[in-house]
Amino acid sequence: MKNKMPAIQIENLRKVYSSGNEDVLAIQDVSLDIPEGKFVSIVGPSGCGKSTFLHIVGGFIQKTAGTVRIRGKEVEKPGPDRGMMFQESALFPWKNVFDNVAWGLEVQGVPKAKRKEIVEGFLKLVRLWEFRNHLPSQLSGGMRQRVSLARVLAFNPDVLLMDEPFGALDAQTREEMQVELQRIWSESQKSVLFVTHDIEEAVFLSDRVIVFSGRPATITEIIDIKFDRPRDLSLYKSSQFRDYRNHIWDLLHEEHHKPVTSTSEVVNG
Amino acid sequence: MDKKFQKIAAIEIIVVMLLWEGLAYFQLIPTYLSSPTIILAAMWDLIKSGEIISHMGASLYRSMFGFVVVIIIGVGLGILAGYYKKIGNFFDPIINAINPIPKIALLPILMVWFGMTDTTRILIIFLTAFFPTFVATRDGVRSMKQVHLWAAENMGASQLQLLYKVVFPGTLPKIFDGLRVSLGLTFVMMFSSEIIGASNGAGLGFLILNADLVGRTDIMFAAVAFIAVLGFIFDRILLKVRSKLLWWDLNQA
Ligand SMILES: Nc1ncnc2c1ncn2[C@@H]1O[C@H](COP(=O)(O)OP(=O)(O)O)[C@@H](O)[C@H]1O
Ligand SMILES: [Mg+2]
Repeated sequence: MKNKMPAIQIENLRKVYSSGNEDVLAIQDVSLDIPEGKFVSIVGPSGCGKSTFLHIVGGFIQKTAGTVRIRGKEVEKPGPDRGMMFQESALFPWKNVFDNVAWGLEVQGVPKAKRKEIVEGFLKLVRLWEFRNHLPSQLSGGMRQRVSLARVLAFNPDVLLMDEPFGALDAQTREEMQVELQRIWSESQKSVLFVTHDIEEAVFLSDRVIVFSGRPATITEIIDIKFDRPRDLSLYKSSQFRDYRNHIWDLLHEEHHKPVTSTSEVVNG
Repeated sequence: MDKKFQKIAAIEIIVVMLLWEGLAYFQLIPTYLSSPTIILAAMWDLIKSGEIISHMGASLYRSMFGFVVVIIIGVGLGILAGYYKKIGNFFDPIINAINPIPKIALLPILMVWFGMTDTTRILIIFLTAFFPTFVATRDGVRSMKQVHLWAAENMGASQLQLLYKVVFPGTLPKIFDGLRVSLGLTFVMMFSSEIIGASNGAGLGFLILNADLVGRTDIMFAAVAFIAVLGFIFDRILLKVRSKLLWWDLNQA
């Protein structure tokens, strides 16, 4: 295990947004390894730079400094080796469920018959095969996120990047989705980098939780979650679960008492 | 348009026509205001003699030629200007400068260059109708959801695939908004572009001007009515095409 190459390797990552005449330091020198096949979550207060972090790993925006490697290969632009699930639904409203899931395969030139086989497999995995002819706008929020997951899995990326995928769902749907995701993940055995601001969601799903500080994002602590799998929702009631949760809660709330380290520079008054 | 609204519109038109007819019948309005029955008779004469075919054909040829060029260039350029910052920056000042000019003011210049020809007429139609489609397309592309573009890139789409499989369909509702305005303008310009060289040509605009010369207000009204009918029919066709292509846009009108 020790000398195996990590799925995602991040070294001294730094991001400064320059908008207008003000520079905003969003991420400050974060280094992080995501081991192959593991489920790793990032929790942090809203606005701390979690989406920014994932967008850089996905290659959608440029980093200011540092390196990001996927299985040893440096990231320069977006590519199908990383499957990204965005915070808001990115399904194409002009395509039905089937065509949305088939889209990546189509642009990559996978033949039609093969495409159908793959799409059918993943739509059945997320239990939405009956809805293949529906439009995204005809589905509930939870169903849309399941389609998004199927779409990402369909083009078989090496790693999954998930940005608060259940953030917009109600509490009960969210718990159902967590169980579903765990089931689907254990079947696919992919490395996952999962972002959330929900502590319990992170503990329930993850092998490891990374706690981010408030902006600029730095790593406060890395916590290994040692629960057997498969996990079910009764885990929420166990004392060990509450210990993890309380510990992370404390870490996030110590944050508020730390002096404000404003590194933003105002260039033009 | 729902059924109830259609009914109200129909009643409205019938009431206005009856009123007009009544006023004309009792000679309460001057004869140059004609009357619905006289106009209908003039329209029928134009149809019976087959004269209307050549006029309509000539006018439609010019305006549809202009409109097709608007679709190709307006949408094509609009997508490029919206998607590529550099192309957009290049076109923005030119567009902003020309957009507020009433394009008909360019007619004398075009006549010097191209004479009293269909080239001049089609150009003036194109210049007028181009802007709404271009601007709607460009702004539509610019207002696209970033995550749609990112998702496509994530799935390995090439630049070309991105443009015609994501940017184009994603912008199509806005494109149709622009096309509808442009189509209306081509019918406005159908008449305006024919006010040059009226004496010996074919076209609904010519028909109006020539009728004016011989004092036939009934024929003038008839030609105007034909333009209105054509404008209405083509607008309906555009809406039909739109609902075919935008079947997925569930909250469209
Ligand atoms: N395009 C941008 N330009 C300037 N600042 C940005 C941009 N995107 C995000 N930010 C800023 O960077 C910080 C981190 O944002 P984000 O990564 O979205 O946080 P999170 O996902 O943790 O809520 C925020 O303060 C936000 O205002
Ligand atoms: Mg975010």
